[in-house]
Amino acid sequence: MADESSIQNNRLQSQLIGKWWMPAIALSLGGLYLAMQFSSPEGAGRESFFNVAHPWSVYVFMASLVSLLVYGLVRHATLWRLGKDTPESVFANLPHRLKNVFRLGVAQDKVRRDRYAAVMHWSISSSIIVLTLVTAQVAIEDDTPLNFLHGPYYLFFSFYGDLFGLIGLIGVGMAMWRRYFVDFSRIRWDERPEDHLIIVGLGLVLLSGFFVEAFRIEVTELTQYPDWAKWSFVSYVLANFFEIFAMNDNQILWSHSAMWWTHIVLAFSWLALIVFTRLDHLFFAPINAFLLRTDSPGRLSTIPNIEEQEIFGVGYIQDFSWKQLFELDACVRCGRCTDVCPANIAGQPLSPMHLIQDLKGHLASVGPSIQKIGNEGGDTRSVSPISMVGEVIHDETLWACRTCGACVQECPVMIEHVPTIVDMRRFLVMDEARLPQTAQAALQNIEMRGHPWSGTALERTTWMDGLGDVPIFDGTQDYLYWVGCSGSLVERNLPITKAVFRLLKEAGSSFGVLGQEETCNGDPARRLGNEYLYQILAEQLIGTFKEKNVQKVITNCPHCFNTFKNEYPQFDGHFEVFHHTEFLNSQLQSGALKVQHELPETVTYHDSCYLGRINGVYDAPRQILDFVPGANVQEMQRNMSKGLCCGAGGGNMWQEEVGERRVNHVRSEEAIATGASKVISNCPFCIQMFEDGVPAMHPEEVGRIEPFDVAEILELAVFGNQDNLEEITEV
Amino acid sequence: MHFVVCAKQIPDPETPPSAFKIDESTNTVVPAQGFQPVLSQYDGIAAEAALQIKEALGDEAKITVLSVGAESAQAAIKQVLAMGADEGVLLQDDAFEGGDSHTTAKVLAAAISNLGDVDAIFCGRQAADWDVGQVGLLVAEELGWPAAILAKGVEISDGSMKTTRVMADGFETVSQALPAVVTVSNEFGEPRYPKLQQIMQAAKKTVTTMTHDQLGLDPSEVGSSGARLKLEKLYIPQSDSQVEIIDGETPEEQATNLIAKLVADKVL
Repeated sequence: MADESSIQNNRLQSQLIGKWWMPAIALSLGGLYLAMQFSSPEGAGRESFFNVAHPWSVYVFMASLVSLLVYGLVRHATLWRLGKDTPESVFANLPHRLKNVFRLGVAQDKVRRDRYAAVMHWSISSSIIVLTLVTAQVAIEDDTPLNFLHGPYYLFFSFYGDLFGLIGLIGVGMAMWRRYFVDFSRIRWDERPEDHLIIVGLGLVLLSGFFVEAFRIEVTELTQYPDWAKWSFVSYVLANFFEIFAMNDNQILWSHSAMWWTHIVLAFSWLALIVFTRLDHLFFAPINAFLLRTDSPGRLSTIPNIEEQEIFGVGYIQDFSWKQLFELDACVRCGRCTDVCPANIAGQPLSPMHLIQDLKGHLASVGPSIQKIGNEGGDTRSVSPISMVGEVIHDETLWACRTCGACVQECPVMIEHVPTIVDMRRFLVMDEARLPQTAQAALQNIEMRGHPWSGTALERTTWMDGLGDVPIFDGTQDYLYWVGCSGSLVERNLPITKAVFRLLKEAGSSFGVLGQEETCNGDPARRLGNEYLYQILAEQLIGTFKEKNVQKVITNCPHCFNTFKNEYPQFDGHFEVFHHTEFLNSQLQSGALKVQHELPETVTYHDSCYLGRINGVYDAPRQILDFVPGANVQEMQRNMSKGLCCGAGGGNMWQEEVGERRVNHVRSEEAIATGASKVISNCPFCIQMFEDGVPAMHPEEVGRIEPFDVAEILELAVFGNQDNLEEITEV
Repeated sequence: MHFVVCAKQIPDPETPPSAFKIDESTNTVVPAQGFQPVLSQYDGIAAEAALQIKEALGDEAKITVLSVGAESAQAAIKQVLAMGADEGVLLQDDAFEGGDSHTTAKVLAAAISNLGDVDAIFCGRQAADWDVGQVGLLVAEELGWPAAILAKGVEISDGSMKTTRVMADGFETVSQALPAVVTVSNEFGEPRYPKLQQIMQAAKKTVTTMTHDQLGLDPSEVGSSGARLKLEKLYIPQSDSQVEIIDGETPEEQATNLIAKLVADKVL
């Protein structure tokens, strides 16, 4: 059985985090109710600009701030406009985009993936929003004929103003705790002076606000209307505290006035930081949520009419889309992406955060000249004195990416790093032909032999040996069982292919295989940056599928699965695609497959990136393991959407790793740490990476964790041990 | 400057053993199904050497690719064109079939004479199918040019070619006057990965085809009629292995028994 409690716990916690702010709302509503019940509140109210000379000056500040914001926006927008059009219109699928703005921008779904930050950030952001509304109401009360700040509403207004001021201070306190008092490295990977300014500044704005209110209360309410004063509960306490100093009214009024001006100057200065610092995410994050792609994160963009292009990838900043340039400005340097990046975890030369920041810096430094030269009709590609790909972003940084999507998953401002990285790889491969020898060998092998496994001694039909009659797909069967290059040409994966075959047969499914006619579907070529080769292969295979009347496909490999499911529709290849774990799970659920043998073992489950994080299939494989009697699933620390890549993604299966450690060693260590006897995955690459990583991390053969595919485990549970299997095969 | 790269298309050396078949009645290799023929790897390296010299000369050189072979060899020529060669000529004629190194060299030499102004010829150290390694030298012989074989480095300047050759016990640097022939070894380095722009340009180029008539060759001198080497028998050797576990309580005893066994089998 799967480790229900830990998964449930995970899900429950994220749900709770989703609703943690409910107490704040409940408290406010409670306040409203009590205010309505208050016995004699009719006279309650206050003078809007009490004790303030020249209150109109606020509007001067306001006007300056708005001009600054507009200036900042124009300055940014000029740079974004250097970019090209986005592949799909940013207004396509509007309801989905608006939902994203609410879910990812307002409700901050991604921020919530770090629980501490969730509370901290929501405290600060809700406080800023509520206090802005509070200020706006004062302005409306004062400058329009509307008068509503009196009576019960005034008391309620005083209450929630203080409540959210306090919540804001709690948020600031939490932020300071992380930044100054505990060892929390990721926010310091790219720390800048502005970061202190933002956090200390906000604290001072909130504090000074309370001081202003406290001084006012001390003069106007504390003795006269103590029942009103109590509603401003924070300032009430503060005002009582000020009584210790026994200032006379004049002194208090002077302090009030001084504090009021301090508060105003601080508040507007702080807001001005939006223009100059990462505080701009206040606007950019929700906008980027709107701009976020609405299709699968497993889909890379196509290059239309590739044969007519002159430049294929992105080697110059102006060749990115304007959305990709916009994203650079949205980055808040929180480090979440780098924190989960498998390459970074293994000490390899890639930090998604620094990549984005380096591109942002490059845009800021060369953007204005590019714009100028462009306006004059000059060659914008010769503007930059240094090459973006190679010098700003090093080749090895781009090659270290696994395209695992962990960075994209975590980014609280919805930056999509992977397409940006692959765009630059496209430049390296197709425009510059500059790529690691091993990646080149894999690509050439695909070109020459239709598979990336240079040097294999196997044929595409070798796995069929000893299986008796293997049906070849001819259009009459329901499903095409797609074995894939790794499932047929890599020795280790043959037992997996055989297991899936036996299980499909046992379930009585109507299926066939392509055998010798299978060829690479192009995924490795696309991920390595050779879009041209990918398109040739994809069009070829889609043609074959259509010719053979393929409708439904079952794949061994999550990479093939993702390509067929998410990327072939770009080339008019529409098929219903299942990963073998999804299909086998459905066969177990329907009773077509029956589990008869016990497997009394503790196992751990590794989510492959392309089945799990990118395609959201977390449950089917775990449900299969649930069916296996006796199997006890011990989850790894990083699991499901937070799972760590095996190290092979993004064409890294065929590359030498550069850096301190290998990613598969890190992940193998994590699997070993569970104490399980088997590490179970669903991807031929993951299995190979574990086969290589486990012995390196556990040289002692005795008690070594064994890499298994879900299908291999299910095969054992359905047919029993290997001896039984051979008998079945003979029959 | 005008360089010639000689390129041969061969059966894929990575064809799995299980798919490699021979027709013993005709002494020929049966093309393996699903495995396309490829450019011999050493010829790719020879092309790389020529391209590097062309670049060193500031692109003041033309590279022509020559191949003796069937229609399918166009693919091998295009591959070298994609790497950066300028023109391709396929020497395709039924009369050229069934030849040996000598007749192949004769055809290539005729084509090179036909081109006229060639300064240097780059060949792979050997073709990766038969591994004979003679064509380069025989072309030089036909043309009466000097040749250096197994080069790991080639430079051209002031009308001479300087090559660093791989020897059994080290390296040797030799100089020869142009025109000259060099065969390039794998120690030279890997061939380049073509840029997509070049692949597309190469795809648009037409490869000229030439026959014995155009080269002024007598059909009796080339192909199987001109071949001096006759293939007697082509077969896949049968290998057989037997394993015997040597008994013994201790490693010393096992070693003694092993030696006794080896002596008895006359291995020692």
